[in-house]
Amino acid sequence: MITEIAWKNVWRNKPRSLIVIAAITVGVFAGVFSIAIMNSAIVQRIDASVNEELAHIQVNNKDFRNSSDIKSIIPDYNQVVSEMMSAPGMKEVSGRIIIRGIASTSARSTGVEISGINVEKERRMLKLADKIIPGTGTFFESETRFNRAYIGEKLAKELNIIRYNLDEEALSRLREKGVPEKIISGLEPIYGERFTSGRKLQKAVENLLGEKDYKKFINPVMEAAWSYREGSRIILTFVDINNIQTGAAFRISGIFRTNNDMFEETSVFVPEEELRKLTGLKDNDYHRVIGLLDENSFTEEATSEIREALSSYEVLNWKEIQPDLAMFADMMQQIYGLFMAIILAALAFGIVNTMLMSVLERTKEIGMLAAIGMNRRRIFIMIMLESIFLSIVGGLSGMAVGGTVIALTAKKGINLMQYSEGFEAMGYSAHLFPAIDTNFFIITTILIVLTGILSSMYPARKALQLNPVEAIRTE
Amino acid sequence: MKVIEIKDVNKIYNSTEIKVHAVNGVSLDFDQGEFAAIVGPSGSGKTTLLNLLGGLDLPTSGKILIDGEDLSKLKSSQLIDFRLRNIGFVFQSYNLIPVLTAEENVGFIMALQKIDRKEREERTWSLLKAVGLGDRLNSRPAKLSGGQQQRVAVARALASRPKFVLADEPTANLDSKAAKTLLEIMEKLNREEKITFIFSTHDPRVVKMARRVITLEDGKVISDEVKKQSNDPENG
Repeated sequence: MITEIAWKNVWRNKPRSLIVIAAITVGVFAGVFSIAIMNSAIVQRIDASVNEELAHIQVNNKDFRNSSDIKSIIPDYNQVVSEMMSAPGMKEVSGRIIIRGIASTSARSTGVEISGINVEKERRMLKLADKIIPGTGTFFESETRFNRAYIGEKLAKELNIIRYNLDEEALSRLREKGVPEKIISGLEPIYGERFTSGRKLQKAVENLLGEKDYKKFINPVMEAAWSYREGSRIILTFVDINNIQTGAAFRISGIFRTNNDMFEETSVFVPEEELRKLTGLKDNDYHRVIGLLDENSFTEEATSEIREALSSYEVLNWKEIQPDLAMFADMMQQIYGLFMAIILAALAFGIVNTMLMSVLERTKEIGMLAAIGMNRRRIFIMIMLESIFLSIVGGLSGMAVGGTVIALTAKKGINLMQYSEGFEAMGYSAHLFPAIDTNFFIITTILIVLTGILSSMYPARKALQLNPVEAIRTE
Repeated sequence: MKVIEIKDVNKIYNSTEIKVHAVNGVSLDFDQGEFAAIVGPSGSGKTTLLNLLGGLDLPTSGKILIDGEDLSKLKSSQLIDFRLRNIGFVFQSYNLIPVLTAEENVGFIMALQKIDRKEREERTWSLLKAVGLGDRLNSRPAKLSGGQQQRVAVARALASRPKFVLADEPTANLDSKAAKTLLEIMEKLNREEKITFIFSTHDPRVVKMARRVITLEDGKVISDEVKKQSNDPENG
């Protein structure tokens, strides 16, 4: 009965209740959605880091990371593999040869980390093969008599392999993407011109289109004009097992694009057998073994087990290799907390205000209830239930709206390509797929109810202080 | 049998510097089945006396015994429960719960008493029928006239099976026709069900119908008159 009255009381002043509910809805939605966006940046970054770059756990020769010495190989590869495979949640492991070297073309040269990989295993384990830019080749699928290398777009640009050219093909790609004809014809002066760097094309486009259209259309234009000569070669230089400088030409097998500029700029992947021939490393000579887990959540447990079993090795997980990432993930938790605290505080004030108004407006009625025998506990519960209903309705509708918007945007993602440079320089994707886990929803619901309860205390106490005699007399 | 005994009760309000002796040495008894009106000019202490009888307020000195139970000995939480079980209230401005229907308003007090749903429904129905609102069970107060609302209030006051009903100026906001209907209903309930009604009132219509009229002035009882009844065959 009290529950029923409380529920009905919520709706007796509909406009007021709806305004509060709308305010709560907007607050909760804004909180949930912005957390989902921030969360997605982190989750995508962790996902990319784990699935494209590092895997979950790495085992190195103890000296390797300090010395980068080609001779710091893992002494007993088979033992390492079997220990790693017996760790909880371990899906697959693979050895890597890792060599510091220099990549160069006739134009430029730059320092890189060359990874000799087991192509078949890594195709299964990591998503790097999927990150290939269409039209640039394959992940080591075509057999040639040349050595092959899989490099990042950034490195390709750095080495001056990529050109930009608004040829016929590029123009038709632009039309396909729905870029207005006005913009395309505006670019006429640079049709067919070859740009040796993205920056030069950007400048030319900005001059032709003006700032506003430039911002809007530069990304599709860059995308369409991008071109690269298949089979371009780079020279990789490094030292072999005898500390003798060596090197060879490598055909570009494919070019990948990730959201991590640093990684793209410094990583070169080469089939391990090709690297073995050049360096003199034998079969099962690896510097590092990477292990992929079924899920991130196994990380700590698996790391500590492997660390115990392989005490003479350096065992690192992704959190340790990229402490900034782990820090960001931790920081997210705190930002969650802060955000929720702000939203809930705003919510609490809204409820206190509304309920106080509602109680003071009903002085007489509450006095009457006390007079006819509704005890203090019941009056308190009634006011409390009213606050809880308000906050639950508002909270749930906020989460429903938030959930819906997240679900809608999660499919296509939110494209912040305009700001992509800033994001990608830090290794974060500019194309965000908002995501939030169910736990968050459950915790938020509980917090909202708690806030409802807490913020009902003051108005409910106020209601109890009413003296029935005084209250009834109030006209 | 005495339901209420008032023994030398005083109520003094100490507001800032002015002392108001609202009830001054009143001693009264009420028997089961009375139909009594407390009258007197504004400020004579009627409402204060009624509040004291209803356990809404406690006397400064003196004793009020209800069925032998001393109200001043009860803690405030016990007092609320005591009111719920023993006293029915009818207020000047009806004071129904606006979000509940007539039926729910009457049933509410029984729900507070934890009476089960079935009994609640039956009693609600028979009470609303008794006050002539058997066809308005599902109307909310806003859809009812003042007289109808006050009849719901009477039904509500009776729902808890109280020892007596206190009605504070129940007809003050009603037109004469509605007031007449209400009074007739209360009189009938008093006559047939032996329900004790005590009114505070200005209203000559109420005074006319009352079988006992207690007149207050400056907080003192200046007359306490029991009328010979002509319309009550049992009370000869």
